[in-house]
Amino acid sequence: MGLDARRLPGGGTSARRDGGILGAGGPTFLTTKLDFVVNWARRSSLWPMPFGTACCAIEMMAAAASNFDLARFGMERMSFSPRQADVLICAGRVPYKLAPVLRRIWDQMPQPKWCISMGACASSGGVFDVYSMVQGIDTIVPVDVYIPGCPPRPEGLIYGLMMIQEKIREETLAEHRVLRAEDPLRAGVPEADADEVAGLTGPFGNSTRQNRVSDVARTDLADRPGDRKP
Amino acid sequence: MAKRTVEYSISRTPEMGAAGGPAHGPLFPVDLAEPELGAEHMLINIGPQHPATHGVLRLVCELDGETVIKVIPHIGYLHSSFEKLGEYRTWNQIVTLTDRMDYLAPLIYNCAYVMSVEKLMGIEVTERCKVFRVILMEMERIFSHLLWLGTTAIDLGAFTPFLYAFQDREKIYTLHEKYTGARITTSATRVGGMMADIPDGWIDELKEFLRVFPRTLDEIDTLLTTNGIHLGRTQNIGVISAEDAVNCGFTGPNLRASGVPYDLRKDNPYYDYDTYEFEVPIGEHGDCYDRYLVRMEEMRQSVGILHQAIERLPGGPMDVPDPHVTLPSKTDCMSDMESMIHHFKLIMEGVKAPPGDCYFAVEGSKGELGMYVVSAGGPKPVRWRIRPPSFVNLSVIPKLAEGHLVSDLIMINASLDIVLGEIDR
Amino acid sequence: MDDPPKPPAGSALDTVEEGPRTGHALPVRLAATTLRHPTVDGLRARFGASVQHHAISAGDQHVVYVEAGRNREVLRWLKQDPAQHYDLLADVTAVDFGGDRPLEVVYQLWSVPHRRALRVKCELPLAALAIDSVEPLWRTADWLEREVYDLFGIEFRGHPDLRRIMMPENYAEGHPLRKDFPLRGRFTRAEQTRRALSQDPVDQYIPTELATGREPRIPGDVPLGESEVVEPSPEPEG
Repeated sequence: MGLDARRLPGGGTSARRDGGILGAGGPTFLTTKLDFVVNWARRSSLWPMPFGTACCAIEMMAAAASNFDLARFGMERMSFSPRQADVLICAGRVPYKLAPVLRRIWDQMPQPKWCISMGACASSGGVFDVYSMVQGIDTIVPVDVYIPGCPPRPEGLIYGLMMIQEKIREETLAEHRVLRAEDPLRAGVPEADADEVAGLTGPFGNSTRQNRVSDVARTDLADRPGDRKP
Repeated sequence: MAKRTVEYSISRTPEMGAAGGPAHGPLFPVDLAEPELGAEHMLINIGPQHPATHGVLRLVCELDGETVIKVIPHIGYLHSSFEKLGEYRTWNQIVTLTDRMDYLAPLIYNCAYVMSVEKLMGIEVTERCKVFRVILMEMERIFSHLLWLGTTAIDLGAFTPFLYAFQDREKIYTLHEKYTGARITTSATRVGGMMADIPDGWIDELKEFLRVFPRTLDEIDTLLTTNGIHLGRTQNIGVISAEDAVNCGFTGPNLRASGVPYDLRKDNPYYDYDTYEFEVPIGEHGDCYDRYLVRMEEMRQSVGILHQAIERLPGGPMDVPDPHVTLPSKTDCMSDMESMIHHFKLIMEGVKAPPGDCYFAVEGSKGELGMYVVSAGGPKPVRWRIRPPSFVNLSVIPKLAEGHLVSDLIMINASLDIVLGEIDR
Repeated sequence: MDDPPKPPAGSALDTVEEGPRTGHALPVRLAATTLRHPTVDGLRARFGASVQHHAISAGDQHVVYVEAGRNREVLRWLKQDPAQHYDLLADVTAVDFGGDRPLEVVYQLWSVPHRRALRVKCELPLAALAIDSVEPLWRTADWLEREVYDLFGIEFRGHPDLRRIMMPENYAEGHPLRKDFPLRGRFTRAEQTRRALSQDPVDQYIPTELATGREPRIPGDVPLGESEVVEPSPEPEG
């Protein structure tokens, strides 16, 4: 949900017939060498766009500081202008009031761009299943890597960044048109449609219905599909 | 007002002009008869995503050139409805929520919240717990001020203090982790005590930190306190008088920098703070530089309090030995029926509080942190209100920034030491 | 091995039901005899029946219930009378108990010179959630009252700028901290997402701000729209 399947590494073999910027004909020795150089350059100097809101932002700052040092990944230049950024790191909880800002920042970033959802709150709403919180930013922007944790350790952020680097390593310029596709008409439009978002509010999604202490006292077993009945 | 120890002044040499710049004339002759362009005011939006707003704060400024005529702050971009969520959680479950508000000093929030609930319930914690909570709160004060120092310096363009401050913060992160398992979201307190007793070697590691930390503070001091750029950017910027500060609700280092000696540790002491020897630094001019000096000195005073607290840390139990509040040990549960029932009830239903309300304020790193809990006699609160110091401190920014330049606005914002998690709750 | 302690008379579950014993000694700073607060006597003397009730909460915290219609008078006296001098307004908040109980507006006051605290409460019936603002007395109340308005829907008469502070300006689901407001909001998540992202950039600005930002004008230009034919303006002197 929220992930464009065409952007998964190695996806869409039929797209190669279509040809990227290198034209039709599939991969050749020259194109793979070019891919290698381009991907190496892209992944080794990703400029993060730190969209830090809450506690995860502090761990992101700690990751950029001396002890964990993002500079060794080429990421010490935190680009606060989206126009110059490659990776949007959404670190922290995003309320609905901030959602249009996030979407706008994402739209302002030029391709190639990737998105990391850092922390439980950005990935799924986290502790905050409340009226004001977006239940996962993948309803707003397309996310490439989710980093769980509350907050994830700086090593966790680094692992997520390395996963982005792996993803970039798998890319190829032959699929350029597919990978970098972005419909300008969808600018400002949330990533997930209404049905997908509605799917977030399923019966087990409400964290207040889980023990006797809550107002809704359910002591019987929850009836979920896949439950083994005694 | 007294003359400062360090004043920013430009030497007047013959080559200098009246405005402090070079004395040669402008490159192009200025025709004074030509009317000035752009007499309209400009509307600039800073934020909510911006490196210098220390969080998702939006400042809409009306500018005349570079001068701020009016600034209107907009908040709510991090509103996570902690207060509403608290009404659906038991007293102990709320502790995990408290870390996520002021994520720069989570243990202060943990402690302030359970202190308020304990007062409501009429529970007095053990001596060991009291002293340990004092240790944690003072450590968090240093923790929070270090981040403030790093980010304020970086707003000025000084990158080095940021790195030094974060290096020392890593040591405190390690202490957090060794005690609670988490670096930031500690959730270390429980109603009636703490989550666990102090691990072996923790106090020694804290002592080692306290041995090394003053040197870092001295280094950063050397870099900033008498630095001409820093002085020029902070002296006489964002001045507020003592009466205005009290009327606007300033608390904490911001208020003390304006000359008002209000510190909850001295004025409404809790946990035997009146028996510790420490001074509360008071400023005079009420500007950004005084706020900087007050916080720097507070860090040193906290080091002193920590040494005293470590000396007097007693032995004994950490948690109140009341089975209605504290979970009995596993050994007792397995051998004694009553303990098992207590354990069962505490887990299934939570600690119960008598009806009533309680407002308890501690001296947090940012100001007066108040927790107001209202109970109707049950395991969950009817209302949990956090009185956030940064919320009230930030509301004064329109008054402070009027007439200053945009760069001063950023400096004023930094000197207030705000954390949006607690402002927006 | 000792025998396990005998449970007290009655079932063991009964004692557990009670909750924590209230017999613990409290760290009281006021001596046991000063359950009379110096301010409360003065309040009763001056305002008589408007001071509806005085209670002690959590051992040593004094709470005064005041008639909502006279809140500004009472608070002004509390602030300005030299013997009271509650110059720091620590907090303004509201409590909704649910059911049909009135809402309470709670003021936490602190006197810096006298080092005393006081809590003042005013009850508001659900049908008439309006009270005078104390912003003219303490500037602190500016944002605090805006927050109470936003989250509870209590109107503060005389507040210079009463609008929502936490929720967006166009928030249509109501006032979140009321007890009849569900935790996850009144609209579905899909509707909340749609509304969040359907705002125009202009909607993000309040009227005062919009009045500032205009197109820059160069003196001598004819403003657009005023005339079809742009006559050449006379040459500026000098």
